[in-house]
Amino acid sequence: MKTAGLLTALRFGDSAFPGGGFAFSQGLEGLAPLRGATPDADAVAAFLDEQISHRWGPAERVTLVRCHRAAGTGGAAADDDGADTAMDEGALDAVAALDRDLDLSTFSQTLRRGARRNGAAFLAAHLRLGTPGAGAYRGRIASGAAPGTLAAIQGLLWRRAGLDETEAAALAGYQLVAGGLTAATRLGLVGALGAQALMPVLLGRVADVVSRPVAADEEPSGFSPYAEIAAARQARLPLRLFSN
Amino acid sequence: MNALSPRLSPAPAMSPPNAARIGIGGPVGSGKTALIEALLPVLQARGVSVAVVTNDLVTAEDAERLRRSGIIDPARVLAVEAGACPHTVIREDPTLNMLAADELDARFPELDLVIIESGGDNLASTFSLDLVDWWIFVIDVAGGGDIPRKRGPGVLQCDLLVVNKVDLAPHVGVDLDVMLEEARHVRGGRPLVATACRAGLNIDQVADAIADAVLLRR
Repeated sequence: MKTAGLLTALRFGDSAFPGGGFAFSQGLEGLAPLRGATPDADAVAAFLDEQISHRWGPAERVTLVRCHRAAGTGGAAADDDGADTAMDEGALDAVAALDRDLDLSTFSQTLRRGARRNGAAFLAAHLRLGTPGAGAYRGRIASGAAPGTLAAIQGLLWRRAGLDETEAAALAGYQLVAGGLTAATRLGLVGALGAQALMPVLLGRVADVVSRPVAADEEPSGFSPYAEIAAARQARLPLRLFSN
Repeated sequence: MNALSPRLSPAPAMSPPNAARIGIGGPVGSGKTALIEALLPVLQARGVSVAVVTNDLVTAEDAERLRRSGIIDPARVLAVEAGACPHTVIREDPTLNMLAADELDARFPELDLVIIESGGDNLASTFSLDLVDWWIFVIDVAGGGDIPRKRGPGVLQCDLLVVNKVDLAPHVGVDLDVMLEEARHVRGGRPLVATACRAGLNIDQVADAIADAVLLRR
């Protein structure tokens, strides 16, 4: 990774970047009622490992990578104020199609809504920062042409912000782990140091998943029923801290 | 391309919000929701079209309270989960609140004012100016007469300090005159209103302050 790419990834991966992710637990908040007991560190790690290996890796990561590739087909010449070129229109349409595929393949309503809300918050920040493509893609979401899932928008905007495919996928994987462990810390399931102790193994899993190639026509194919049930339980909790 | 500032274009690249946005923050139980409940009829009587975003710590307690109050169309109240971080959702990362306000703007094109109510917090919470144009911080006499002396960022930085439940001062051993004088002193004379929201005391003054700050005079 070149220094500029590393610094850009650090910028977007830092919790100081306002992307709305702090309000989402991806179902972790529903883990306790599902288990019938407070999850310990091993349970938190297993939950996140399932997310990485069986959901994010084969589903969101695939969409992110394919959107990243699609975003590069015409984006360099695009403006951000809606006056995008015909070439960029085609690139954004391709991203929107991949975006729709991911949304339709997400069985869990609460995770589907969460992916859209988190995507909208992420997009709102880039819109105000003027990241190329953000304005035009927001128009597609507003018109109903794209659902605006987080993974699709990450692929589009991180490409336009200068991250290469591997950097973008690694950053999204890092945020999944960091966000999950931060949520676990706020839920009182692990301490801050306990969360850090889980990081190396989980980031190792991310590195392994990111190293797997994504075929040009690969479709999202995640399957993580345990996490989906946890998310469904979370949505019905009488007291909730997180959006999902 | 792999640069730190790729194609930096002039931000922001979006249409400005239709309605003015104000924040109301303050400790748990200080009377933020009660202030909104008292303000809504006053603002509505002045012809101000209002919507509210609540940031409850858990569930949508305040949002539901407002929706059931009968004083505002329930569709004009949105709840945003704070992810256990009531500071973050109004300051470090206000994007979810921005989205909620944008949604209300889109739903109600005639909207004049969006009130964003913070989740109950401590004296350190402040609003990002990315999110609001102007903000109120609410404290109350039952929380202790020494609150102004503690000089929390909320008390010091807000555009208007509301000291609520002044009618309770004799019952909780607070010298109200001293508390208000100390509040004025630590704020360097910046605006302050003493209220009793349940009794409707001085709500007009708060509405006047809002109108002067962010609305055409109504």
